[in-house]
Amino acid sequence: MSLLSKIKETLICFKAGRVTLPYPRETRPVPPRFRGRPVFDAAKCVGCGGCASNCPAREILMVDLCQEVRVVKYIGRRCTYCGRCADVCPEKAITMSKEFETATNEIHDIQQELELFMGTCQRCGRCFTDAGPLDQLKMKGYRFDELDKDRWVYRSAGYLEKEAAVRDIEIEMD
Amino acid sequence: MQNALQNLFLSLVNVAVVLAVAPFFEGIIRKLTAMVQSRQGPPVAQPYFDLLKLLGKEDIESGESPAMQRFSSYLSLATLLVVAAILPVGGRAVLGGSVDCILLIYLLTLSGIATLLAGLAAGSTYSLMGMSREMMCMMLLEPLFAVALLIGALHTGSLRLDAILNGSVYSSAGFPFSGYLMLGVMLFSLQAFVGRLPFDVTEAETEIMEGPLMEYSGPKLAMFKYARMAKLVIYCFLLVALFAPWGCGSGDYLMNWLLLLAKVAVVVVLVTVVAATHARYRIDQVIRYYGILLGISLLALGLAVFGY
Amino acid sequence: MPAWKILNRIKERFAAAVERTDVPANNRLFVHVRPGDLREVCRHVFRDMDARYVISIGWDDRPHSGGFVVSHHFSFDKAGVLCCVLVRLPGDHPKVDSVSEIIPGANWAEREFQDLLGICPEGHPWPKRLVLPDGWPEGVHPLRKDVAWNHVPEGYNHDAEHRFEDPPPGCVVVPFGPFHPTLDEPEHFRLYVEGEFVRGCEYRGFMVHRGIEKLGDSVLTYNDIPMAAERICGICGSVHNVAYAQAVEQAAALGVPLRAEYVRTIMLELERLHSHLLWVGLACHIVGFDTLFMQSFRIREPVMWMAEKISGNRKTYALCVIGGVRWEITHDLKDEMRAMLKTLEKEWLAVAGAVKGDRNLQKRTKGIGVTSKELVKEMGLVGPIARAAGVNIDCRRDLPYAAYDKVDFDVVVHEGGDVWSRVLVRVLEVFESIRIIRQCLDRMPDGPLQAKLNGELPVGRLGVSSVEAPRGESHHMVVTGENNRPRRWRVRAPTYQNLQGIPAMIKDQRLADMTISLGSIDPCFSCTDRVETLDIRTGGSQVYTQTELLQMTRQR
Repeated sequence: MSLLSKIKETLICFKAGRVTLPYPRETRPVPPRFRGRPVFDAAKCVGCGGCASNCPAREILMVDLCQEVRVVKYIGRRCTYCGRCADVCPEKAITMSKEFETATNEIHDIQQELELFMGTCQRCGRCFTDAGPLDQLKMKGYRFDELDKDRWVYRSAGYLEKEAAVRDIEIEMD
Repeated sequence: MQNALQNLFLSLVNVAVVLAVAPFFEGIIRKLTAMVQSRQGPPVAQPYFDLLKLLGKEDIESGESPAMQRFSSYLSLATLLVVAAILPVGGRAVLGGSVDCILLIYLLTLSGIATLLAGLAAGSTYSLMGMSREMMCMMLLEPLFAVALLIGALHTGSLRLDAILNGSVYSSAGFPFSGYLMLGVMLFSLQAFVGRLPFDVTEAETEIMEGPLMEYSGPKLAMFKYARMAKLVIYCFLLVALFAPWGCGSGDYLMNWLLLLAKVAVVVVLVTVVAATHARYRIDQVIRYYGILLGISLLALGLAVFGY
Repeated sequence: MPAWKILNRIKERFAAAVERTDVPANNRLFVHVRPGDLREVCRHVFRDMDARYVISIGWDDRPHSGGFVVSHHFSFDKAGVLCCVLVRLPGDHPKVDSVSEIIPGANWAEREFQDLLGICPEGHPWPKRLVLPDGWPEGVHPLRKDVAWNHVPEGYNHDAEHRFEDPPPGCVVVPFGPFHPTLDEPEHFRLYVEGEFVRGCEYRGFMVHRGIEKLGDSVLTYNDIPMAAERICGICGSVHNVAYAQAVEQAAALGVPLRAEYVRTIMLELERLHSHLLWVGLACHIVGFDTLFMQSFRIREPVMWMAEKISGNRKTYALCVIGGVRWEITHDLKDEMRAMLKTLEKEWLAVAGAVKGDRNLQKRTKGIGVTSKELVKEMGLVGPIARAAGVNIDCRRDLPYAAYDKVDFDVVVHEGGDVWSRVLVRVLEVFESIRIIRQCLDRMPDGPLQAKLNGELPVGRLGVSSVEAPRGESHHMVVTGENNRPRRWRVRAPTYQNLQGIPAMIKDQRLADMTISLGSIDPCFSCTDRVETLDIRTGGSQVYTQTELLQMTRQR
């Protein structure tokens, strides 16, 4: 009985043949929906900031240099490739590429920085509303993330602090 | 004088061949295991590279008594090389026929002792545990081989190695029951002698993390690894010489070697396939198993005494 | 038996103790009781009414009600009701009666809220520090709302070592982990070994806190959390993703489109498939049977590719958002999936047939790591561990979620209670999963993938959800809150309970069986450790301090 099962196991093994893929030399084609490194299209981007507020890893930073210029920076270091930025982008300026071999010594290889010229919204200066209330931008107005420190700055009310409404809680995710 | 030189030359050839082919057989094992596991596997020459890499590494002293650790690592390879030197290839007497099977038994035990020393010298919890397991296994395993040699000695009436390692187990007066019985026992315990699954309890990576060898790295580990590979070849050789000497009796020296290596290769393939299709037994199960084998081998010894 | 009947039975006995009740659905029951009667109510629910203990959770409700809340969760599996017994505690020096004496499985949960919220479980048998690092100063409780998520208190000693208990006399201490070749995960057992036999052990885990729960209630938003929740675990990520989304949906009474329910079911079952195949491989590796390990990984690979085709990634599906799913399963994908399942079933039938008769494997797994029905009940063990011990529980059937109430499947139960039974349960569950996916593919309707939300989610509602992960029941609790994020989100992974059963399982066994016993619960330490503020390490290193190591790893 035991010998029989051993023979069965051996048969299973040999029937399958070799399945090792010649990976580094040849890559397997990725499926069409594959979520690789996000790529930002500066021509389509309107600088709404939806991606920056919805990125779970806080990987997309925004700085308003002046009334007309907004800088969008994708840091790419902690990015989990969830594709939420591409989901919420109203202009489809972000696409999840097929690129998955993103290990690099030079971080700038995967980073992207866009400089956008902005018009002015009559109400808040900057705004964007998404269809769903859960995805709506909580950070209207001007943005002052720290690009040089890769730090996302979030205006929020922390509990138990009466002056919290005016205090910034800085979010540093590294 | 000439005879002495020739003797020495034969021994050196033995050592050289064992050193040269041991990693090759290890490579075959890996490749074959990979085949069974549907993998591509490393190139056959990989064990050579592994040894070179280990030899080129820093010699870290991490155990309790570094001198003893170094000594045990050299001892483990050295004993096996001495065994290799006295192997009678093709039934040719080595060192003028002055080698007997008692020496062989001693040397084989000594290679086990080297592992014990290694574990003891390293002194960590896991290596001590591996050491105690090794000791338990050794005490039951070494007699098995001694019994096989003794049966040969009983049949031929000689303790000379070249006489015994030549199919002597079958040369009994009556039908060689004892020989066939011993062949079975040796086949069932071969995995244990060469330290492969399902009996590699002393090194069990997933239980006690390589046991006695846990604290070793670099050149010292290379010695142990080399010794392990040489052990495989030597035990396969001994098995073949004891139980399947056919075609080795006469003829060309080179042919003898080639035939021998071919037979060893067959045994190695057998070992690999068994190792690849079995789970590791637990130490108590292993001991019980060895105990049963030892009982059977003693029965064979009794038969041999009465001429069967 | 619907929830209100259970409520009536509790009220019969404790009419005065019950302060307030909430029955949001037929299968959810929230009972607020007086703190003084908590222990007796829990005893009644756990012992007399034979409910299964799930978890105890504490949270800081001071911004809203001025105090703390502790909630004990139970599951009535036969009735299909999740019942939470809640107590309100004062804001200063909160104390609660410990239930660990009655429910041994509550041991860790109570020590956890003692560490993280400073709620003292009075009468706890062993109130030793569990979660916080050993150098963490007393009196700083990271999950309180007045502690910022990135707060490092003064006096935090990175290099403090854990104080272990002394081993019993006559025993040697064998350290197991965190660097062990079979269970290369951040766990540390100190085994008390006598000869080759294990006489007891002490566990120190929680070495990889990533602050996910704290991030969830202070930084992330509702729709960010599913992506973070998924990264709690490398194998059952989608389970956490779905469980969280369901907890929020239950709290907000949000309906999910039927098609999305089916997609969730399919993805969860795909995950179970690859997790079980992985486990069978790993268990074989632990007993040294590497060939079957490789073969089961080979059989598993097409499942991963299928998941990649559907969701865009092999493992992290990024599946759920609140109110639906993100990926659709088209007709082409359905056909591919059917073909994949067909080959998978054929290959796994062959493997199952071979494994069943394998005496060699049985020798290593029969009679090992035995759990009795009593242990399952006491410790609240879940999943294949419970089912292999003859306890017939399965959230998919008992507390149906997603589309599980619309498909037929059998719950695989075995009586042995040992590792071999767990192997068989998991091997057979693969076929059930295949069956479920096939039915889902046939019955999935067309329609929208995400529900339309009108307005924001209601505030202050409690949502609980249980999802049957490959390892057992994953339980999530969410208290909805302001600022587009929950007030409290608590994850209880199945290993959290199962790991507490380990000391009883390995007692008086051989050391060689320790790895397979531990491996047989399919432990997932990252799930168990998920919580709280910082990544910490115990047993400080000699060469580098943690700070130096962190600096080194951060250098670019």
